[in-house]
Order: sequence, then structure tokens, then C-alpha cells
Amino acid sequence: MQIPQDLIETAKLKLKSVQSEAEFFQLRSQFLGKKSFVLSAFSNLKSLDPELKVAAAKELNILKAQLIKVFENSLAIIQSLDDVSALDVTLPADPYFIGAEHPISKVSDRVINYFLPLNYQVFPGNEIETDFYNFEALNFPENHPARQMHDTFYLNSNSKSEYLLRTHTSNSQIHSMLREPLPLYMLSPGRVYRCDSDTTHLPMFTQIEGLVVDQDVTFGDLKGIIINFLEYFFNEKMEVRFRPSYFPFTEPSAEVDIKFGNNGWLEVLGCGMVHPNVLKGCNIDTKKYRGFAFGMGIERLAMLYYGVEDIRDFYSSNLDFLNQFSS
Amino acid sequence: MKIQYSYLKSFLPTDLSQIKLADVFTKVGFECELDGAMIDFDITPNRGDVLSLRGLQREFHAHQSKKLKDHLTYSKLSFKKDKMVIDKINHEACGNYNLLSIRGVSSIRSLDTRKQRFLLAAGVPLISPLVDLGNYVMLEMGTPMHIFDLDRLALPINVLFPAIRNSSLQVIGGEQKNIDISSLTIQDQEGIQALAGIIGGDKTSVSKQTKNIAVEAAFFYPEKIMNQARKYGLATDASHRFERGVDPELQKQALARFLFLLSDVAKYDSMECFEGSSKLFKTQYIFLSAAKFNSFSGLALSDKQIQNILKNLGFDCELSGNKKMRFKVPSHRFDIGLEEDLYEEILRCYGYDNVPITPPKPGPSIAKKEISIASELKSGLVFSGFKELMHIPFVSEETFSKLNGNSWAPAELLNPINANEPFMRGSLFGALFSAVHLNLKKGHSAIKVFELGNVFHKAASGFNQEKHLAGIIYHHELQSSWSSQASQYNFYSVKAEILKLLDTLGIHGLSLSANSSDTVFNVNSMDIFVGKKKIGAFGEIDIAVTQKLIKNPAFGFELYPDNMSNKPKNIKLIPTSKFPLSTRDMNILISKSIEYAEIDRILAKGKIKFLNAFSLTNTFEGKGIPNGFISMTFRFTFQSNNKSLTESEINDSMDHAFNLLSKAVKAEIRT
Repeated sequence: MQIPQDLIETAKLKLKSVQSEAEFFQLRSQFLGKKSFVLSAFSNLKSLDPELKVAAAKELNILKAQLIKVFENSLAIIQSLDDVSALDVTLPADPYFIGAEHPISKVSDRVINYFLPLNYQVFPGNEIETDFYNFEALNFPENHPARQMHDTFYLNSNSKSEYLLRTHTSNSQIHSMLREPLPLYMLSPGRVYRCDSDTTHLPMFTQIEGLVVDQDVTFGDLKGIIINFLEYFFNEKMEVRFRPSYFPFTEPSAEVDIKFGNNGWLEVLGCGMVHPNVLKGCNIDTKKYRGFAFGMGIERLAMLYYGVEDIRDFYSSNLDFLNQFSS
Repeated sequence: MKIQYSYLKSFLPTDLSQIKLADVFTKVGFECELDGAMIDFDITPNRGDVLSLRGLQREFHAHQSKKLKDHLTYSKLSFKKDKMVIDKINHEACGNYNLLSIRGVSSIRSLDTRKQRFLLAAGVPLISPLVDLGNYVMLEMGTPMHIFDLDRLALPINVLFPAIRNSSLQVIGGEQKNIDISSLTIQDQEGIQALAGIIGGDKTSVSKQTKNIAVEAAFFYPEKIMNQARKYGLATDASHRFERGVDPELQKQALARFLFLLSDVAKYDSMECFEGSSKLFKTQYIFLSAAKFNSFSGLALSDKQIQNILKNLGFDCELSGNKKMRFKVPSHRFDIGLEEDLYEEILRCYGYDNVPITPPKPGPSIAKKEISIASELKSGLVFSGFKELMHIPFVSEETFSKLNGNSWAPAELLNPINANEPFMRGSLFGALFSAVHLNLKKGHSAIKVFELGNVFHKAASGFNQEKHLAGIIYHHELQSSWSSQASQYNFYSVKAEILKLLDTLGIHGLSLSANSSDTVFNVNSMDIFVGKKKIGAFGEIDIAVTQKLIKNPAFGFELYPDNMSNKPKNIKLIPTSKFPLSTRDMNILISKSIEYAEIDRILAKGKIKFLNAFSLTNTFEGKGIPNGFISMTFRFTFQSNNKSLTESEINDSMDHAFNLLSKAVKAEIRT
């Protein structure tokens, strides 16, 4: 008697295309039913020689057991298919709230994320500050016209020191130089205040200060990190211009402009080499150490990055505006 | 400072277009904006020497590497000292004081229209031809002048601080000012006639009847003039220049220029020049080492290159050798005092953009800092569907007292931008209420918002600044969808939200207690403690404190990240059981006067054998439940570490649990 060798494989193949239980049983009777090859082969055994009969019966039994196993396995899968009723999976999800960070948070984080791998530490700063940290220690002499560049809010205090709302995050430079060991690589993000309000200015805005104090720091280092940072931030090669400016706490001082879109040069940050008077005031040996510092307005960067046209939008609590920053 | 392009172009002189000229000045540190036919120069406060045509010309030529030639014409003057004209001078405040006395001034006519237009463009109003001429010379040369009516002065003049307090002066324009003893004044024999370097008195000013004039050109030290003008509310072109620094060697030359130009506007009979005793201005010298400059800048300039650049700016190299050069600081450069100041001058002329860049260098490696709890809380809230808001932290007196009660003294601004909002916020909720209100008005109905920021209050000495994180959930409408049953955001929703957040961030050991303080929440609220430290509160917003901004139930929370710690603990692992869990439900009736926390405590501390966990799965009041009672369904889970539990072991534990409740709070089995 000839037993087809590929019977099991044929059964497996046919089972793959079975979609329902009915189809399954139809197929099962083809392979294991009364008229199937295996069962009819058993009834044909009678006609064989006794010696051959034993061997053939053994072989047929193995085949039958294998086929039963294959069909059993397959039935479990097919039945589980039938148990699940198909949903319209395109129906909407249950309602959910979409969260979003504020664009100013997102842009601050983007700035900080550039500097973290360069081992800059992040320090918070005081928003209410004394005149000493906001001006005096930063080389703004009392009554100097340079102070008039900062429209300052003053506080009603019962102490001898004059308290004010910091006009820049540069106060953190002084705190960190007085507190931290050298070399120092730090960032300080936070809110600053100017007594000034119109369509393009708010009395409060956000800055990030950066400060490095180390040996052999050069003006070329400052330029290098600023250009590299701006290209990272805007994710493209940038035309960057450094132009001389004046901040009492840096010498030399520079404003940094970028070419952005069709707007010509746009000022994005201020920077410079830390003024020796500032270092000395923080008990730093200027023969050994030099430093550079930079400060940037986050609202300005966010406006360029997201294409926001009115700075007041950031603080308007307008959910329709904020909803757009959920990604 | 606005200057007409056409005027500047012929003064410099240059062929550059307006845009190109503005660009040259911007690149060397004087940011320019074009304003029609004018260029508006932003002159930084350290560069008073550039507040004139001559100052601009000097810079322009230096950066073009051209030698500056003075093309102006002057009259020849000789000065004499006469105690009957100029007597006492305070040399601490006044370096030199000069008067050009001109008699028999007649045929006065206006400045030519070109100069008039130049003055007007620069924002200097036309007053009278003689005064206008003085102002013109100021804009041309950089030193302010004042013109007295000579006949109204009771000579001699003294330049002194007032001897007596509250002397009075009627200044030009008619305003009466009480003069402080810290203000330098020009006095004659009848009293104070001018505030030095700021403004003249009305009485001695020139008028149509003036025949004889005294033109004053003097040098006042910046630190003696600083802040004086602001004190009197009299910011003038003169004070603007003196407080930034005027060249102390310019005054006599300016008078010579005035006299030369006088023939354009008037005739005169005679003139005399007087000088007071003067204190010589000390010339400054600065040493500079090229090697040090190169290591500072990253450039490699030679001594010669450095000398050339500085020479163009008026710094002569006087001595060289010993690897250092000595530069003489020109008298107009008040801002230069250190070697680093010269570095800036060199870099400015060499061009910041020409300094080669070096790739970013990392700082020394630092111990990896934990992400701050505040930012973790923030991320957690964002994932739970909250939107972050930011607000300007100025609040009204009413808002402060509503939200902070009497517990905090406000941080008050002396010069608020809006008189109605003089305080720094003591709570983040004020702005959050407004935010909810605003967005409800716009038609939003489901709002989850938070803010992270500082709140402020006055302390015994100075001020305190604390970091708060506050949020609001306004979800008045039933949340319903096609797929699930309608549900309402309630107290237990915010409770879950906050506990989940804190638990996920590893802030453990919480204890909750009824809200004790006078806050924005109503009675349905709780304080959160870790040990004795309060780390926050949550609950239902007290509608009354929202000042009608919110009219329906809203829920909120306030967290204090600085009081929290999520330092990873050494976790002690407990071996997990290999044996199955068994669950049983128990339905009890209990008086409503019993707080759930009491039941929770009894079961937790009841030493119930094999108890793995229990939870409240349902409560019911109403039909079939006696008045004053509530039905509660608990689900108990049992498990043993070393065997499968038998039915009777589980039943024993259930009986134990019920007995505990029955004894302590008179619970009955609900059948």
C-alpha cells in the first residue's frame, strides 16, 4: 500500500485558509472522515499479507494520530477567532484631556538641553533681589546712567538693603561665583522684570543666563559656543553676527544677531567676557581665571521658533493658543 | 540720538549710502536704525564721547583706518583769569569753568535753515538764535553750553554746592525748584542762577532784550551730575551728556567755535574770554601685553598691529619694551580704565566677526543631578492632561487678601506698572481663576490647567520666595461618551489624580488630614503631609474666593515641590508567594457617622490572618437601607506564602474581620 508522504503538509496548508468552524469540519471529514484516505486505507488492510498488514497498520495509526493533532491545534485557533465579535475600531476613543507644557517651558528646556551634555549645572535664582546682586556686584555703580537702561521695580521693604525685582538673570552669576567652586559652568533660567509695558514689551519676561569661569577661556570660545548653540536651537546653519555693545558686567560686550527669514538681522542675545571687576568682587583670582557670560530672552527665541507674533499671547491664558503646543 | 543722514554724510565726509553708513556704525558698537532721512544712533551709556558729530566722525575714521583731520574753523581766543568775573570753584565737581563775554550783540537772525533742520531732526527745539547756536556747537563738538544774559548776572560767578538747604530757583520754562545741597550750582552775588550741567535759571536766560551775553562752557564731573537731573525731573541734553562724560579738554575750543559761527547769526561790538581756576585732568596710561591680549581673544596680533588699531582711536603708544606697551588714554575716553577695556577697543576695530571661533568645550564632569521634583510633577500633570499656564505675578490688594488672608504680609511694589496691582502674588490661584473664567467665556467647558512659579511675601528681614505648583480642574458638565456611562469629576477624582501623581514620582509616606488652614478650598479638602512637612493640599475650590470668576464646582490643588523629596530608598524586596490569591466580598451596614478612615484603620491594624489586601468596592444608601446607615461592600484578598488556603481558613479570617468591625463600629452583615 502506498501512503502519500505529503498528507500532513497538505492538511496544514488547507487549514491555513479556513475562516470558520463549518469550513473546518468540512475539511476534517475530508482527511479523517469515513471516506478519507486514512480510514479507507484501514478497511483495505484486510486484503494484505499478514506480515505487511502489521507494518502498514502501524504506519497508518501514526499518520492518523498526527492528523488528529494537527486538526485539534487548528480548531483551538479557529474557535478563538469566532469568539471575538468585531468592533468598529474606527469609532472615537473615550474623551481625554490633552496636556501641554507652556511654550516658554518648552523653549527653556530646549536651551538647557543643549548645555547639559557640556556639563553646565542649572541653578535657580531669586526674583526678589537686593541692589547689590542685581547692580552693584555686576559693576553698575550707584546712579550710573547704565542703570537707566533697566527700568526697575522697587519693593517696599523694612530692611536697610534696597530690594527690587531683578532686571536680569545676571544676579545668578554673582550668587554662583560666590558659592560654587571653580571651574564653573552654569545656567540659570528664570523670570525677570522691567517697569515697561507696551505692545512689544511686557513687565515680566524670561531669561536664561550662562556663565563659564575657567582658565584660558577666550573670546573665540564664547563665539564658538554661541554659534554652535544657535545652530542647534534653530536646527540649521545660521548667519550670525557679533556686534560690540555695552554691559557693565562684561568687557568686551557683544550683542548677537542672526539672519532670520526675510527680517534681516535680529538681535537674539547679549554676551561678553566677564568684567575683571565682577570677578574680583567675587574673590576670583583674575590672573588665573577668566570667564564669559551670556543671556538670552526666551520669549524672543520662542517667537522666532514658533512664529508667534504677539509677545502678550504667552501670558494670555488662552487655551486655543496653548492647545497648539501639545506636541 | 537722531542725526540727519545728509548732514552727517557731508560732515564725516563719506560717499557711503545711508544703509551702508548705518551698518558701519552698527558693526563698531553703535546700533543704528533708519528713520526716514535720519539715522537713529543707540549710543550706550559708557560712550558719552560719541554724542556729537565729532564723536561719530572720530569713530568713523578710526574704523576706516583713516587719520582724522579737524576741518572745522575756530576764532582765536585768549583767556584771562579775573576774580571779579569767575571766583570760587569747587574743583571736586568742576574741572574747568570758562565764560565768553560778548557785548553789543545786534542784528540777530536765525540760524541758516540747514542747521535748523539738523537741530530739529536731533530733537533739539529751536529757542532763540543765540541759544540755538550754543546747542548747535554742542551737537557738533560734544560739550554743552549755556548762555546767560550778562546784564542780569551779578558777577562774580561761583561754582559751588549750595550752602543752605532748600534754596529756590526758577528754571528756564518757569518751574520753581527747591535746590538740594547735593546739587552743584552756578551762583552769582544774588544767589543760585543755574543747576550746573543741567539747566539755567529763568531770570538770567537770554531774551529779546538781551544785548550782552556770557557763554558758559565748563567741565563737570559725571558722578556729580549723575541722578541730579532725574531728581528734579529735568532730563536735558546737557545733563544727558555730562552724566555720561564730556571731554574736559574741549571747552575753550567750543567757545572759539561758537564765536566763529556767531557772525552767521549776529553782530557784536566786543568780546572777552575768562577762565576760572582749573584743576588739570589727570592723563591716564594703560599697560598692555600683546601676548595676554592674544591669549584672551584667541587672535595672534603683533605689537605693531595693536598699536595701529589703537592709534586710530586716539591711543598713542608712549613707551614700549619689556613685552608691554603703554598707551595714553585720550581725554574724551572716560570709559577706559583697564587693560581689558583696550582689548575691547582692539577687538571692536579688528571686527568681532573676524575673531576665529573654537568648538564648544565641555566643563569638568559633574555628578549627575537628579531631575528636579518640580519638573517631574510638571511632566506628570502634562501626561494627565493638564495644560501649563504662565502669568505675570502682579495682583490687587483684594486678590492678595482673599487668597492669603492675614497669614502673609504682601511684597509691595513701590512703583507698580498698574496702580491697582501693587502686590506680588502670594498664591498662584488668582490668575488660574481668571484663566478658567476667560476660557469659559470663550466656550470651553472642560478645563485642566496648572502653573508652576514663585509666590512672594514679606519676611521679618527681606522677602521670601517660594515655589508653588497649583492647578484647577473645571469640569462641570458630565463627561459622557458613546461608549461609557456618564461620570462627573468630583472630589475623589482630584484625590486620585494627586495621589497617583505623588505615588508615581516616589513621594511616599503621605498622610492626609482635613484641611486646616484658611485657603482657597472649602470644607471638602485635605492637606498632604510627609512626616510633619506639609507638601500640599487639594480639594474643592471655595467658590466665594474666586470673586465670581467661577460659579460652579471646581477642584484644585496646590503643591510645594521644595518640601518634597523622592530620593530613591533602599527597597527591601519581599519574596512573592507561589500560591494563589483568594478573594471574598463582605457586605456590611454601618452608621453614617463613622468615617471611612476609621474602618480602614481597624482593618489595617486588625492582624487578620492571611490578609493580603482589602478595598472598598461599593457603597449604597437608600432603598432597603435604614435611615442614618450606609451599606459598604469590601473585597478582601487572602494569600499564604507556603500553602494553598482552605475554605475554612479563609472563612475564619473573614469572621475575624467582621468581628473587628462589629465590635468597634457596630457593623452588621447586610443580607
